[in-house]
Amino acid sequence: MDEYIVLIVSCIFVNNILLAQFLGNCPFFGTSKKMETAVGMSMAVIFVLVLAGVITWVVYNFMLVPLNLTYLRTIAFILVIASLVQFVEMFLKKSIPALYAGLGIFLPLITTNCAVFGACVINIDKEYSFMKALVASFSFAVGFGLALILFAGLRERILLARVPGPLQDTSIALVAAGIISLTFFAFRGMV
Amino acid sequence: MAKSITHEFVKGLWEEVPPFRLVLGLCPVLGVTTKMQFGIGMGLATTFVLVCANILVSVLRKVIPAKVRIACFIVIIATFVTLVELLMQAFAYPLFLQLGIFIPLIVVNCVVLGRAEAFASKNGLLPSIADGLGIGIGFTISLAALGALREILGAGTLTLWEGIELVNLVNIFPGFQPFQFMIQAPGAFVCLGLMLCFMNLAGSK
Amino acid sequence: MGEMIKMFVVLTILSSLSGGVLAYVKENTQGRIEDAVLQLVKGPAIKAIFQDAANDPVADRFNLEDGDRKLDIFVAKIDGKQMIAFETFGKGYGGDIGLVVGVNVAEDNIFGVGVTTHSETAGLGSKAKDDPSFAAQFAGADIKAPVKVTADGGSINALSGATITSRAVTSAATEAGEVYERLRPQIIEELKSFN
Repeated sequence: MDEYIVLIVSCIFVNNILLAQFLGNCPFFGTSKKMETAVGMSMAVIFVLVLAGVITWVVYNFMLVPLNLTYLRTIAFILVIASLVQFVEMFLKKSIPALYAGLGIFLPLITTNCAVFGACVINIDKEYSFMKALVASFSFAVGFGLALILFAGLRERILLARVPGPLQDTSIALVAAGIISLTFFAFRGMV
Repeated sequence: MAKSITHEFVKGLWEEVPPFRLVLGLCPVLGVTTKMQFGIGMGLATTFVLVCANILVSVLRKVIPAKVRIACFIVIIATFVTLVELLMQAFAYPLFLQLGIFIPLIVVNCVVLGRAEAFASKNGLLPSIADGLGIGIGFTISLAALGALREILGAGTLTLWEGIELVNLVNIFPGFQPFQFMIQAPGAFVCLGLMLCFMNLAGSK
Repeated sequence: MGEMIKMFVVLTILSSLSGGVLAYVKENTQGRIEDAVLQLVKGPAIKAIFQDAANDPVADRFNLEDGDRKLDIFVAKIDGKQMIAFETFGKGYGGDIGLVVGVNVAEDNIFGVGVTTHSETAGLGSKAKDDPSFAAQFAGADIKAPVKVTADGGSINALSGATITSRAVTSAATEAGEVYERLRPQIIEELKSFN
């Protein structure tokens, strides 16, 4: 059990996928201007990342490894993620329209979200067991959401501040992200 | 014609240079630039994939059905990424170890898919090659510049390639203390933010 | 309908082409990749430990099963004495730290150690690999006794500002001792063929 607690803390805080591993930074800056979109994106990522993490783990360990095709990992994973996203989109549209209305516009963006792809690759690189891969995927996604929502809150405040001309927009956002990253840095060494 | 090809090439170097003008493909930019040499290596790997994918997409653009074009692009890009992965492991293993997960991640780099979709699928072979090269080299220069700045501030050295150290401040100024913050994760964000600020300053004049 | 078939055909051709090209490249680079891994990851550490070896310790190797793990064991000859080296891991600040431990088989002590892979903080924990005086402290230690930093009652001076890293390296060295004791009869058996 301890092992899993360490894994969760490590994936959410210490090795936060956005701020320590630098994965998924495009949506981090792209969808953090408004709290509303940040929350939507976070939910979509949690949903897809858990599914993708589990499916890619199964594909890798039960298809690629027995067939000795592990070098095709990159292709296999991106295809799994791309088709998963399409499938989830279709499924939500038909079955849970309310959820689709919330997440719909974020789903296509997730195919090229390196947080999803990266987390799947990390699960394999670290040779996690199935349960660990599941827990790690979920924790990574929660870490992503936490950082994104915190950051969106910060950016909404920045809008009210008087920022010097050349530093405006992305530039100040990057500096602010650095400061958030610094706070997450304090968790290092905890596990 | 010749003029427009030059134009496609040059625009990638300043007007549309990622990640500064188009804030795309940020992950490798932040993740691998702890040393200049990693920036260069990552940039060249990305350029290779970008040019090859642009060539193939441009050649096949009339054959690929519109509905499955994204899937086709992804297969093409992923193939070249795997190719780079294998070649790098065989011929530049130390670099491969340092870049680690960011090599397979080229596959989800928005810059690459973006160029295939926005440019190569609509243009002929030569302009597509020029476009890929231009954006790729612009990307490499950006990565190298950020890497150089972070390395010189954070470690006091400047490494062009494995074993080729251009400058070592510790030797020039004994007692020089590197500002280690710069090569840590938070430093990446701050450094890129400030570089963007200076580019805005230079551009607004 | 025609469009559906076209979509299907194009995707199938594209995928099989891609698979074919990659299989070909994989086939042709596999040997080089395996060499590169040995030469560049463990190689430098092994060569640094056995600087005066009369043979090439990276080339002379055998492997043994330790539980469910396959262990590469490298053999070096110095002044007519046989030495071995193999890699163990310890948990550092930023993840696993790989440590190659060289063992003097005749005297059952540590001949030298070298860090292979790590993801420790640059400038602090990374000194475990970059600062030779840290690794030098391990030479001569009894392989059968646990290796510890001074704070834990041992003899190794920890790197300043990187106690966790230093502990990880000592725990990897301690583990190497355990592995060595488990496999000692088999190692001595295998070494006969290298004389």
